[in-house]
Amino acid sequence: MELLCCEVDPVRRAVPDRSLLDDRVLQNLLTIEERYLPQCSYFKCVQKDIQPYMRRMVATWMLEVCEEQKCEEEVFPLAMNYLDRFLAGVPTPKTHLQLLGAVCMFLASKLKETIPLTAEKLCIYTDNSIKPQELLEWELVVLGKLKWNLAAVTPHDFIEHILRKLPQQREKLPLIRKHTQTFIALCATDFKFAMYPPSMIATGSVGAAICGLQQDEEVSSLTCDALTELLAKITNTDVDCLKACQEQIEAVLLNSLQQFRQEQRDGSKSEDELDQATTPTDVRDINL
Amino acid sequence: MSHPPGDARQVPHSSKACRRLFGPVDSEQLRLDCDALMASCVQEARRRWNFDFVTETPLEGNFAWERVLGLGLPKLYLSPGPCGGRDDTGGGRRPSPSTALLQGIVAQEDHVDLSLSCTLVPRSSEPPEESPGAPGTSQSRKRRQTSMTDFYHSKRRLVFCKRKP
Repeated sequence: MELLCCEVDPVRRAVPDRSLLDDRVLQNLLTIEERYLPQCSYFKCVQKDIQPYMRRMVATWMLEVCEEQKCEEEVFPLAMNYLDRFLAGVPTPKTHLQLLGAVCMFLASKLKETIPLTAEKLCIYTDNSIKPQELLEWELVVLGKLKWNLAAVTPHDFIEHILRKLPQQREKLPLIRKHTQTFIALCATDFKFAMYPPSMIATGSVGAAICGLQQDEEVSSLTCDALTELLAKITNTDVDCLKACQEQIEAVLLNSLQQFRQEQRDGSKSEDELDQATTPTDVRDINL
Repeated sequence: MSHPPGDARQVPHSSKACRRLFGPVDSEQLRLDCDALMASCVQEARRRWNFDFVTETPLEGNFAWERVLGLGLPKLYLSPGPCGGRDDTGGGRRPSPSTALLQGIVAQEDHVDLSLSCTLVPRSSEPPEESPGAPGTSQSRKRRQTSMTDFYHSKRRLVFCKRKP
């Protein structure tokens, strides 16, 4: 008798549902996406203690946690959406910021994952500076302030809608998808994208991914300009806005890479600081 | 503290992601801010729904609140008691003012089938529509809640029926 032993991925994932990729769904996403944007540029009008660099610090930390815990890709951008919406309404001291980041990951993970992050685990990631009990109490606070409105539209919701409309060789799609996801994560760490509609970030990220890959190998039959025009049509985005967004995404990537290389060259930096580079790991693999 | 079986996502020892970002956290301050923000959430909800969620009493306003019988909801959705779905801390959370109140109340357990529903009182004289979310409610719900406040204390779960625009 032969026995077959299969080790399966402990995380169960639903297969993609094709009926969620039709145009009606895309149009609905485009209609409702603006509802979930933060209400204002909160560094100017709400926050007194929190500075933009602190948001970047907490975002980088959150991204590291999500990557180490192998969270679903949407968890990090969704958690950042919660964080931005909360901060747009509630003046917060900087000492609470990491707790808030943890709460937002906790909520986003529960919404998107089959096995969500636990409160204990998140507290360990704050170096036990907060207790699970505090995390749960603040979870209610954040839920209240977000009016329990958690099913926000994120750029990830648009990726498949966009990709299926591109004249693309099938075998290039996984790579394009991966780079797109990395660009989206990168955008979520940078406040200047916080008020952009998710569809624009998604479209710009797909554009940046394809144009970036195009430099090494033929991944698309279109030129970058033709691609941008097609992308703009798919999500009803203004071509010039989209171009500007894509350029910003590329600039952020370049900036992150430079910062990373700088820190690598800089021998005096400790390993600890190195790891706080604002670059998501995957981006470092992208060849420009 | 139990991790779900098959959780392959333990925190690695000496993970560099384990760090505090902005120095020491003042637990006392966290608690004070938490209470203040919760109170403001409660106030906001109170205004929004003309309902006092702490004492579970309807107030004057656009919504008419009334008791709903026999919704057949699983107990899980009705009680924040000891077996309520919160196993990710292993229990032991500090009850906030409103949950403390609710836990005391829910301990009675004898009214678990009861629930509340609310309907927007129409500005015109037309009666509210029967809502599919609240079976067993009668047409003449308007303002009846004033005579039924005794029952509200047994419930925490609210069923928001379809509101008329």
